[in-house]
Amino acid sequence: MAGLEALARVGFAVPMRPSAAVTVLAAALALALAGCSDRGRSASAKEPASTKTRIRFQLDWVPQPEFGGLYAGLARGYFAAEGLDVQVLKGGASVAVPQLVANDKVEAGVMGADQLLAVRVKGGRLVAVYATYQVSPRALMVHDANPARSLEEVWRGQNPVAVEPGQSYVRWLTARYGTTPPTVPYQGALAIFEGSPLLAQQCFISAEPVDMELLGKKVRTFPVAASGFSPYLGVVAVSEAFQAEHPEAVRALVRALRKGWTDYLADPGAFNPAIAAQNPAMSLAAMNRAAELDRPFIETQFTRRAGLGAMEESRWAELARQLVEIKAIARAPDLKGVFVGE
Amino acid sequence: MTGPTGGRRLLSTVGPPLTVVVFVLVAWQAADTIFDPPAYLLPGPIEIHRAFLNDAPRLLAATARTGLAAVVGLAAAFSLGVIGGSVLSASRFLRRGVYPLASLLQMVPLVALAPLLVIWFGYGQRATVASAVIVAVFPILAATIDGLQSTDPGLRELFRVYRAGPLARYWKLGLPSAAPAIVTGTRVAAGLAVIGAVVGEFVSGFGGEEAPLGIVILSALRESRTDLVFAAVGLSAAVGFLLFGAVSSLGWLALRRWHA
Repeated sequence: MAGLEALARVGFAVPMRPSAAVTVLAAALALALAGCSDRGRSASAKEPASTKTRIRFQLDWVPQPEFGGLYAGLARGYFAAEGLDVQVLKGGASVAVPQLVANDKVEAGVMGADQLLAVRVKGGRLVAVYATYQVSPRALMVHDANPARSLEEVWRGQNPVAVEPGQSYVRWLTARYGTTPPTVPYQGALAIFEGSPLLAQQCFISAEPVDMELLGKKVRTFPVAASGFSPYLGVVAVSEAFQAEHPEAVRALVRALRKGWTDYLADPGAFNPAIAAQNPAMSLAAMNRAAELDRPFIETQFTRRAGLGAMEESRWAELARQLVEIKAIARAPDLKGVFVGE
Repeated sequence: MTGPTGGRRLLSTVGPPLTVVVFVLVAWQAADTIFDPPAYLLPGPIEIHRAFLNDAPRLLAATARTGLAAVVGLAAAFSLGVIGGSVLSASRFLRRGVYPLASLLQMVPLVALAPLLVIWFGYGQRATVASAVIVAVFPILAATIDGLQSTDPGLRELFRVYRAGPLARYWKLGLPSAAPAIVTGTRVAAGLAVIGAVVGEFVSGFGGEEAPLGIVILSALRESRTDLVFAAVGLSAAVGFLLFGAVSSLGWLALRRWHA
């Protein structure tokens, strides 16, 4: 009753008897229980069961050209033709994609190869099936006013650098240059960077610098890959359990992704409007420019031989060695079965 | 007949929660040993303890930074809450006009507001303290208004009969009457200040050697080091617990005549 008295004191009329209060409490409890139940979802269970294999595809960021092949594959019906029912789930900075996939909460997800290995070391059984970025497009971006003229100068400088906490490249650069600049959390947006002429910020070469360019602001970018650290990024992974249970679906997923990416790289402009509709924060012009810049990171001499998205065992072994060296992981993970191809 | 000795009283206070904590930890460790879930999903207490020992200097330094931000934030929230509550309770117009707006502080999701704090206050402690103030001020403000409004009408009448001025009425009657409510509000705010500080650190904290608990938690999550996440979360809870205990002790000291 103390709560009711407090309400009355601040001006609410509470002409309730104890029995009425109990009724209200019971109703609230019933509402809460109804909200927690799966009843809403069970209604769809009455719909005819699809013969297609359902793949909830968790992105690690909002829809952008870095997922262009996926959207092209959906637009052209490649996944459906392979017997897959792909549902795309948008991501963000707070979505723990590797953990979601390893714990079978989604069937496939996009992540960095370094994240995949970190989860494998901790017992998460993830398998990489497609590596979108063969070369890491990760870079540090500075304003024209920033005196730094190289990655090393940014990292050895006194000006703050906005980075995503826990990114393994931060450990790598610290180990390589023997020091750390003041680092602050990367917000996933440009607002703070725009207003801070001396702040450096992590970026994908094909994303944030393009936005700045379209805003008419000059920036310089320094690719992290140039320092010798270039894990596969945009890696599509599934759990070992899913791969064992649906090996043909996994092969079909890779085939459809490869076809989608082939189409997307041939004509990104045909698919970008559909992606832009999913992400109003990025303009169509920025998406078209991003797709152009992304190409050399996705299509390499190796992929021309082995196919888009293909991976090499030596690259995984090198990454594992680097991650141990910089103490991002405590020990080298078991690399047997870390990736599969078509 | 004498009352229970100090030792027994302490045991009767600390014993039950300590027993529950030990029971939960033992059950958790037993479940972890039996079911052996992957370490990225749910580490056991022994693993978390090991993570704490491995990173103890960094974690303790991070705890000190977060604790300092929470204490400064709580102190600022206390000053703002008590002064603001006193002003609002003195004027019905102001109370009706400002109180609903002040209550918005409690309803605005802090995570949405936090990035703006960086734009306004810059990176580092100032934005973190501001975040702690935003979540901690409302319970103190509300408790102050509530306490001042609940002054015994008989005593109020007595002060009027003796023609006490508004300052004397506030200082000698209103504030002492409101003190228990203010202490309760501050106790609630103590835990919230720590939450506010950690959320503020998510967007404004420096990394590297200067990392506070919020940044340690974000880094560990990204690196799938769930054991370190638990250790850091446990330490932030400990800061909240200590702050709650400190406010309770100070409140008891200030109000011991009420309890006598």
